[in-house]
Amino acid sequence: MDALFQALLNGLVRGLIYVAIAIGLTIIFGTLRLVNFAHGAFYAIGAYVGLVVAEKVGLIPAFLVAPAAVAVFAILLDRLVLRHFYGKEATSQLLITFGIALVAEETLRLIFGGTTQQYPLPPGLASASTTIGPITYPTYQLLFALGVIVMIVAVWLFLQRTNYGLIVRAGTRDRIMVQLLGGNISQASTVVFALGAALAGLVGAATSPIYDIDPQTGFDFLVPSFVVVVVGGLGSFWGAVLGGLLIGELQAITTLIYAPAADVVIYICMALILLLRPQGLLGESEVIRPA
Amino acid sequence: MTSFSTEGPGADARFLLLGAVALAIFPFALHLVGGYAGLATQILIISVAAIGFNLLLGYAGMLSYGQAMFYGGGGYVAAILLIRTMPNHPNLWLAALGATLVTTLLALAIGAVSVRLYGIYFALLTLAFAQMIFFVVEQAKDWTNGDDGLQSFPNALLPLGPWNLDLRTPLPALPLGPFGNLSDLHLWYVFAAVMLLAVLWFVRTLTRSQFGEVLDAIRENEERSVFVGFNGPAYRLAAFAISGALTGFSGALKAMYDGTVAVDSLGIERSGSFVIYTVVGGVQTLLGPVVGTALIVYLENVLSGVISFWQLIEGLIFVLAIVFLPNGIVGTILRRRHGRRTLARSVKVR
Amino acid sequence: MEPILQTTGLGKSFGRFAANVDIDFAVAPGELRAVIGPNGAGKTTFFNLIAGTVPATTGTIRFKGQNITRTAGTHRVHLGIAKAFQTANVYVDQSVLQNCRLAALAHVQGAFAPQFFRRSTRLGQVDALACAALARLELDNLAEVRCGDLSHGDKKLLDIAIALATEPEILLLDEPVAGMSRDEARKTEILVRRLASEMTVLIIEHDIDLVMGISDSITVLHQGRVLATGTPTAIRENPAVQEAYLGGHSAAEMHA
Repeated sequence: MDALFQALLNGLVRGLIYVAIAIGLTIIFGTLRLVNFAHGAFYAIGAYVGLVVAEKVGLIPAFLVAPAAVAVFAILLDRLVLRHFYGKEATSQLLITFGIALVAEETLRLIFGGTTQQYPLPPGLASASTTIGPITYPTYQLLFALGVIVMIVAVWLFLQRTNYGLIVRAGTRDRIMVQLLGGNISQASTVVFALGAALAGLVGAATSPIYDIDPQTGFDFLVPSFVVVVVGGLGSFWGAVLGGLLIGELQAITTLIYAPAADVVIYICMALILLLRPQGLLGESEVIRPA
Repeated sequence: MTSFSTEGPGADARFLLLGAVALAIFPFALHLVGGYAGLATQILIISVAAIGFNLLLGYAGMLSYGQAMFYGGGGYVAAILLIRTMPNHPNLWLAALGATLVTTLLALAIGAVSVRLYGIYFALLTLAFAQMIFFVVEQAKDWTNGDDGLQSFPNALLPLGPWNLDLRTPLPALPLGPFGNLSDLHLWYVFAAVMLLAVLWFVRTLTRSQFGEVLDAIRENEERSVFVGFNGPAYRLAAFAISGALTGFSGALKAMYDGTVAVDSLGIERSGSFVIYTVVGGVQTLLGPVVGTALIVYLENVLSGVISFWQLIEGLIFVLAIVFLPNGIVGTILRRRHGRRTLARSVKVR
Repeated sequence: MEPILQTTGLGKSFGRFAANVDIDFAVAPGELRAVIGPNGAGKTTFFNLIAGTVPATTGTIRFKGQNITRTAGTHRVHLGIAKAFQTANVYVDQSVLQNCRLAALAHVQGAFAPQFFRRSTRLGQVDALACAALARLELDNLAEVRCGDLSHGDKKLLDIAIALATEPEILLLDEPVAGMSRDEARKTEILVRRLASEMTVLIIEHDIDLVMGISDSITVLHQGRVLATGTPTAIRENPAVQEAYLGGHSAAEMHA
């Protein structure tokens, strides 16, 4: 029983990571119509930048610098390369963002080496654990989970309450109409792209004390995040939340029962969704027709 | 769609002749730039899978991120057939054909449920299936040896008339100066070259046939095609099956050439590699996949000894190709020569 | 006479929005029936139901007595129902001739009969059908032009030619003259009249003069339902129709 509870908490933590990445993916797709295979790179860069800053300066600065650095990188990427691929067929986008993800991964490998790295938590925090129900669980991970939940709420409020958010939500429905009505969708798009990237970067920096970092981290978290987005529904905020938690828990419970199947089980889940309900659990019920 | 030479009855013969000459020169040119003979053979074998991928992406407009399931699948089936059904008379043809048959059936099964999806959904579904097959192969240790892979299975012989050829036999010695020695090459190269020519001829014919014409129309505008009366999904399923067959054949040959097969032949990186080779070489061209495979595999093998970050260079080449050479190396050359109209169609994928 | 096309209780809902409700419709072979109605009446949806672009929610469709409600759109083309799209849908990068050839090819060889080793050029009837269709629409001088380079009006005509290349028994034309100049529209009207003498034609149009001039009969749709069916004169004088279009004023008042 204790093991199950432990697994559920693990699933929650992992699921929240997926949620954070998936939200970025889904709002970027919703506004920019961009399928962003490079999103994992944002996560990885955030993790490594966080690592460097944490070692040199401290943990809190790391949480500030990492998302900022990633946001800058994202804006540069957008301006220089990706801008030309908006609205193009999904495949061109998949290819270019896949290429960027590759280059990012290999560059990180070049700079930091291929071995896994540990993240230096201050000794007090590193060993702290809290009693939750029947078990004790690392405090940091609980704080992390809370932090991500706060972040999710903040993003949701941003989308619901601000003008940018309004443009984003409207743009998800009808890009051209928003432009006609005077909404500066280009600027809003850049904000959204940077926001999604920063989100992934922040989570990357914050997760690193929990899971070790290596250059492949980006891809390792990207593919499940895509699964999450498909399961939840491409373009749906709450779909990303629901999907992320579901997939996270699914993986955790499978790890408990039969660990080698932990990866394949999410692929089976994605395949089932694609075959039975391709728009995802909370996605728009548009028929996936030849565009 | 490209024409290697002009249309007409002699065109096929000319194509094959030029191809044969190019393939005869290739390994020696490769030697000159630091490649070794075995590399040439590997390039030819892997190109067949890239050609299969290109048929799917460039002509049917379907991006599959799971081709490795056919490539590795072909390799494993060939190895298992050799180990279990013909340990004493390992027959290369039977192993290769058996592998191809199995992967074709697999492609039909997976395609039957997948072709109703488009764009990224299709790509992700093929990825999902590939990962499932990866898992199955990894777990079926009695058959596949799991993570360790199958090593040292019987060396398949090629029955040709009265002889049983061991393809590992080197060609007769003949010094060729800076190009090395004829004996650097084994019969494997000759066999691979003949196979590649056959595949190229097949795909060339296919893309110019009625089937190719309809597939092209479906790729360009499936809605219109459906409402003039074509069964879009059926055509794309056929393309997926043929692509699976070619990829499985390639994987089988590679496994028999290497003498081993491992789970990485089924992995995401493998699926990704076909994407890279084809995009760099030129989607929608006949020779693009071959050129792309040659370039990247060469770089992989030669650069890796010299530079530690060769994968970064590979990634950069890929990105640069997409941004600056969207038609790939071969595509860009052809456009310059024939003008815009020949390759007016972009890589419009469904 | 047995109607060539008949719908009974046909309906289509998109979620909670009912685009077509309880449509009973019948057209005789060789008739030229216009389907008119204010915007949002559900005319295009009705055509899409007949052509099979969208599946019906309720009701049945019979073609020459055969129930085709569940038949796929691709197969309906082979049965003889051809639709020209509202927004001209052509193969942009192909030539005008190739567009028709593809339609003729599908018609001749069937929905799925792949020839992996032979070319389509050896099927003479394909070329003959395509050229004939182009000639009917007077587009043969544009045969080699790339479709993306065509004028809007010519694209719409090509769409009709593509439909003709499948040798249909029923032709559905969705706003064939929309966006055309007066001259192009006049030319198209003559072409449609000629076509109507050889096959059954259903036409959606907003140009009331054109509709009144060429139709054998007219069906009026309003808010997804059939409001009235009858001869052009009867429809013009139908008070319910006037109400729907003109908000209660009679046609006489409008012309005063």
